[in-house]
Amino acid sequence: MNTLLEISNLHASIGGKEILKGVNLVINEGEVHAIMGPNGAGKSTLSAVLTGHPAYEVTEGTVLLRGENLLAMEPEVRARAGVFLSFQYPVEIPGVSMTNFMRTALNEKRAYEGKEPLSAKEFLSLMREKRKMLELADKLNNRSVNEGFSGGEKKKNEIFQMAMLEPALAILDETDSGLDIDALRIVAEGVNKLKTPHNASIVITHYQRLLDYIVPDFVHVLADGRIIKTGDKSLALELEDKGYEGIED
Amino acid sequence: MKEVHLHSNESFEQVFLNEPEVNLHIVQEADSRVKIYILNIPKDLRDPKDIRNNISVEHRGEGCRTEIYGLAFLHGEDRVTIETHVHHAVGCGSSEQLIKFVLDDRAKGSFLGELKIAPDAQKVEAHQTNRNLLLSDDAEMRTRPQLEIYADDVQATHGASTGQLDEAALFYMRQRGIGYEKARQLLVNAFMQDVLPEELVNTIDSEIE
Repeated sequence: MNTLLEISNLHASIGGKEILKGVNLVINEGEVHAIMGPNGAGKSTLSAVLTGHPAYEVTEGTVLLRGENLLAMEPEVRARAGVFLSFQYPVEIPGVSMTNFMRTALNEKRAYEGKEPLSAKEFLSLMREKRKMLELADKLNNRSVNEGFSGGEKKKNEIFQMAMLEPALAILDETDSGLDIDALRIVAEGVNKLKTPHNASIVITHYQRLLDYIVPDFVHVLADGRIIKTGDKSLALELEDKGYEGIED
Repeated sequence: MKEVHLHSNESFEQVFLNEPEVNLHIVQEADSRVKIYILNIPKDLRDPKDIRNNISVEHRGEGCRTEIYGLAFLHGEDRVTIETHVHHAVGCGSSEQLIKFVLDDRAKGSFLGELKIAPDAQKVEAHQTNRNLLLSDDAEMRTRPQLEIYADDVQATHGASTGQLDEAALFYMRQRGIGYEKARQLLVNAFMQDVLPEELVNTIDSEIE
């Protein structure tokens, strides 16, 4: 079993304020790790730091992606190397078509992997296939990125992009927020279908409900910038029962 | 300076692409139509441009329609001014102006939009919009809408805004593997879309390297 991601003693700040205070985490291929924790614990900061958001500063620690220094890579290089973030609040980009956006991203990844770009025909066929998987209406493809999409459609569109890019490490940042039960099922099924023995995912969530669909191998509680407890999926149920305060001992 | 006199029901449509300077005076008689594009999209940084463009339009007859689209995508030490003078001397006409500047490096842009609606020019509809995108800290944009509206039964709007690229959109694209330069290019292209004539909308990618 290969190690995909290794986070060691990670400290990170934003605007001079330290948010992550020594996070340690090892993720192996084939694993699903859930991260739960109270607001302000640093869950979104962790996603931002892993994906290279420029507003955050890493002050200490290392992150290795398959043994390579992830923190030394530009955000686009991390993405091409296989890191994907399903954003909590996907942004709208008027004037940039979904098709053009997706094609550019996919071909950049392929170039990084030493592959030829997909032909227009192959690409459109792939789009159609993945769109169907997420039950995304055809009409949405002619739109600009996320423009006029409902909350649920935006989240589905994130998983659609994940299906197109097939990342090694998917970080799902509160993917369930704003979803009704049907959308949640479709999104979770999509995520599960993309699971292989060689990729892994980090599922950041507040609610146990998502974890009924996307079953985690490990559940970590992140509080005040550190992982204070790790368990299996039963820990999520314990959290729902006792709350975060009941766990912090 | 080029003078264009449109007679009743005539129309004039022209795209000025990378012309050294556009100096145009248009007189429109009743029910005539004008649609012009002034596009400054330099391909390389050769000699810095220092250009003043001046378009004036007069509605002398009723029921005229005027559309002016302007785009200046400037780099290096470029200096470009777009001046428009639209005069609704009589009523029942409409004019629409959409002028955009994209400024990089130390380029300086200037827009002067004079819009006059005469006291008896009722039922006129006039819109003037100037949107500007600054891509660097040293780029500068000066925008001066000047509206003089003397008639009271008219619809006249104007808007001017200057901003920068959406950081969140840039990061979103980079997170999908699109490089910073390419992401910037996509956003700039998106910004420029609505001031381009149809035939240039898809080809503009090759114009801007």
